[in-house]
Amino acid sequence: MSGSRLAVTWRMMALAFVLPLLLILAIEITLSSGIEGFDGDEAFTRFANATLTSYTLLSLLLLGNLFFYGESRNRPLAPLVGMFCASLLGVAATFFFINLGPMLLEDNGSAQAQAIYNIVHTLVSAGAVAFAVCVSLGSMFSAITSQKRRINFTFEEE
Amino acid sequence: MNIHTVRGIMDEMLQALLLFWLPVAVVPFGVWIFLSSSNDQRKTFGRFLAFVGIVMVCTSPWTVPSSPSTAAGHLLGAIIGPAVLILLGIYLISFSGHVPVGRLPRSDRKLGMFLSFVGFAWFAGMHWWILTPQIASGKVNDYWFVFWPTFLLLTSCLSSCAAIASLTIGDNRKTESNYMFMLSGLGFLMILLGLNVDGPLITTDDFREHLWLSVADLAGIAAGGLLSVMVFALVIFVYEKTLPSPVKIEAPQTAELEQVANVIASHIGGGVE
Repeated sequence: MSGSRLAVTWRMMALAFVLPLLLILAIEITLSSGIEGFDGDEAFTRFANATLTSYTLLSLLLLGNLFFYGESRNRPLAPLVGMFCASLLGVAATFFFINLGPMLLEDNGSAQAQAIYNIVHTLVSAGAVAFAVCVSLGSMFSAITSQKRRINFTFEEE
Repeated sequence: MNIHTVRGIMDEMLQALLLFWLPVAVVPFGVWIFLSSSNDQRKTFGRFLAFVGIVMVCTSPWTVPSSPSTAAGHLLGAIIGPAVLILLGIYLISFSGHVPVGRLPRSDRKLGMFLSFVGFAWFAGMHWWILTPQIASGKVNDYWFVFWPTFLLLTSCLSSCAAIASLTIGDNRKTESNYMFMLSGLGFLMILLGLNVDGPLITTDDFREHLWLSVADLAGIAAGGLLSVMVFALVIFVYEKTLPSPVKIEAPQTAELEQVANVIASHIGGGVE
């Protein structure tokens, strides 16, 4: 596949990915002359909390992954310390921004409660994401296997 | 705040730690032991740990009623049935088709389709019928509003992407692409229904509000995840950069090359039966 064709393919796939969301938005805007039920502040709070929490949780997961990376390298400390600092930065940033005031505080009374809520919320969202990925990939696989078997090459006559 | 109140709070926190957060941590730990062990006994232990963790998380709304986080355990208990039905159905459909290994009988395909249909109908019943996960009578579990729109939206988006991918990258995969467009359309239709048809406990306004929030959630998870992967790559890159370059070795001698050529020649060929 040539470079330009590959770029077109990627663009088409990206467009296909956002197409259902764009269609929903178009229908909503057409029917109710605006995005009904959309609260910009609340959406930003949710976006910021999700970003900080997923960064922190995934950094911790990748920190654990570094132990396996270190197995083949005589367990160097430098990358572990580096990743630990990056994870710590995520935790510190989360508490700093939550403590700033109502910007990232949702319906919770304290920074600690908000942080715990963020973790549970991200776990539930990640569960939904994982389930959606399983259903989509599984359906794709079952669609492929349910078709007639293909023979992609022919044996040379002897 | 008197000492009894402090003790009560400590007890509640300890209860939440032991009966919710510890089991939450035990589930991936058990899965990790199961996947990484070659020993059968360890595999069984990992499976047992994960199972006990899931059961304890699911029962946490009753064992730690004071902790609001346990609503996630309640949700897990509510969705585990339809989720398993759908995944089992997809497994049966996939492996009753043309697969080179582990092929199931052809009759399992119908059973798989039935199970998947029941799973989806069960999920739909959670929105538009009496099966909605409720923390208390008439009070919908808040995390259901997080899970359901996120799942529907992402399934629709991913299936649409997979349909286009099979058309553009795949070789003559029009039928498969149509199946994926149908799945994407099903997710899309359910979102549209959620935006226009009230359920007994979930109104269209509730669903609409949480749909936009799930878009913010997904964008946030993608941004945070991408950022952490970039930081991880940067840490590895910086460390690898500081390593001394490997010692250079001399090019192989003619005799060594001949020896290698002989070894290769003794392993390939196939002219003689």
